[in-house]
Amino acid sequence: MRRGLRDVGLAIAIVIVIGGLAMIVAGANPIDGFGQLLDGALGNPSEIAETLVQTTALLFPALGIAFAFRAGLFNIGAEGQLILGGMAAGIIGVIVPLPAMLAIPLTLAAGAVAGGVWGGIAGFFRARFGANEVIATLMLNVIALLLATYLIGGPFKQAGATASETASLPAAAQLPGIFPDSRLTLAFPIAIALAFFLRWVFRRTVFGYELRAAGDAPEAARRAGVNLARTAFVAMAGSGAIAGLGGATIVMGMLHRFNTGLSPGYGFIGIAVALVGNLDPLGICIASFAFGVLQSGAIAMQAMANVPRDVISIVEGLVIVALAGRRVVAARRNA
Amino acid sequence: MIAVALALLALMLVKATPLIYAALGGVLSERSGVVNIGLEGGLVAGAFSSVVVAGATGNPVLGACAGVLAGALLAAILALAATRFGVDQIVAGTGLNFVAIGGAAYGLVVIFHQPGASREVTNLGATGSWTLVVLAFVLAALEWLFLFRTPWGLRVRACGENPRAAETAGVNALATRFWAVVTGGAIAALGGVYLSLGELDLYSDGMTAGRGYIALAAVIFGRWNPIGATGAALFFGFFAALQYTLQRSGVPSELMQALPYLAALVALGGFAGRVRAPAADGVPYVR
Repeated sequence: MRRGLRDVGLAIAIVIVIGGLAMIVAGANPIDGFGQLLDGALGNPSEIAETLVQTTALLFPALGIAFAFRAGLFNIGAEGQLILGGMAAGIIGVIVPLPAMLAIPLTLAAGAVAGGVWGGIAGFFRARFGANEVIATLMLNVIALLLATYLIGGPFKQAGATASETASLPAAAQLPGIFPDSRLTLAFPIAIALAFFLRWVFRRTVFGYELRAAGDAPEAARRAGVNLARTAFVAMAGSGAIAGLGGATIVMGMLHRFNTGLSPGYGFIGIAVALVGNLDPLGICIASFAFGVLQSGAIAMQAMANVPRDVISIVEGLVIVALAGRRVVAARRNA
Repeated sequence: MIAVALALLALMLVKATPLIYAALGGVLSERSGVVNIGLEGGLVAGAFSSVVVAGATGNPVLGACAGVLAGALLAAILALAATRFGVDQIVAGTGLNFVAIGGAAYGLVVIFHQPGASREVTNLGATGSWTLVVLAFVLAALEWLFLFRTPWGLRVRACGENPRAAETAGVNALATRFWAVVTGGAIAALGGVYLSLGELDLYSDGMTAGRGYIALAAVIFGRWNPIGATGAALFFGFFAALQYTLQRSGVPSELMQALPYLAALVALGGFAGRVRAPAADGVPYVR
């Protein structure tokens, strides 16, 4: 716990010191820069709603990444799983006409299945051949993007459209909004509920225990009867399913159609979120909100304080580097 | 017909060159036991810094040197984190990619006052550009000689297989890893220099387009051997070139682009013969 707090302090220090320096170099006043960032993210109710939208979009991949990390596996492929989850939702939501009661769960499930399959491929390679899941998911990321580009540029392109995107989702497959004049939808409570569910799974179930045992002490777990190959597969498939679900909620709640630009890197930023959140679902909820503030305030900071929003990427990258030495991470199974 | 084949061959060399540099950097680093996922960031650092210095001084050779230095510095962060702090190299390398890509985008605004792309600068010209192509192959041969025919190379490989045993035999595993990663970063950055000052005359966001990841695939495909990795890079370069040539033939270009990545997956799955990484590749060594 104390270590977790120390990491949060380190992350905040990086944001303030490096972010502040980058603002000064760019010729801006850091107090003004951070002020505009916070004001743009939290200044009024509709901005807070948009911050929660970004929080939600980060929460799914971060939870997925933490799920794999628990088993000692690094899923760097959340981005690709999220994209394919969004694509599956965009396609299924359009072609299957159902009332909302059925369309919403089905479309969400389509996203989870697509992401799960994509993560599962890496899990299968890991379980069957001992292949490094990091390299596999990196490759699968690019293949996912190319596959989606191909499918929506060709077979599933909206008829008559010039842009490569799917047709607009019918209202029945869109997630209902929960705050007026915002993109905040049912996706937010779903994400929070998922976090609590995962916390329960990690702490109170045999499966969660096996997952952690496989990650922390694989040899001991194996001798105690944990099937390491199966755990690796389930961890990666589950991780992908959670990220894919996130992609589906972006399509169903934010964009109402799929195009390949649906994510500004949520799957990668999710790595930083998962690490800052100490791989604990509730910690990740809080970390998602903090990174959501950065994401949603960056545009205001750029427009009002003349600070390039790319400062945020630099800071996020350094946070990842700084937290790469954590015990939970260091226990990662190396192959 | 011969003209088409020659044009394809030339394009293959152009497309393969940055991959060769990045892959050679990756091989050196991984042979010492440090996985450098940040190769993409190394390409970005080289491409961007070389354009900045070439633009400021009007001298592209100075620019190239600056690019190499930037790649070495970026890799030094990873090397320090990996040797001094024993962090997870892959997680740290992922963060470095963020830093490099974000840093270059930030630099475009701060230095060139325009987002997206830099202004055009004096590039290396045709001669300089082809020199870099030839140098890639020379470096591949030199790196092979170094790794497999010199005592220093043996030490590097020992650190990648069993750092503790290497230390017992008197090798400073931490220092060896540090310098292997830094040198690898410098070599990878040359690929970035080639992209920005050889093939083009500017830096633009996203110009490295995941080549660092293809290079990781080339390292595996080439079985952690400089010559093998160069062969793999040429193979991937060939498909990249073919994609331009076949653009109007009806073959989906996405399929061609996906080929290197699919090939890497196949190699990872052991379908292309036994692939074995250095035993301590990616494993932090703590004294």
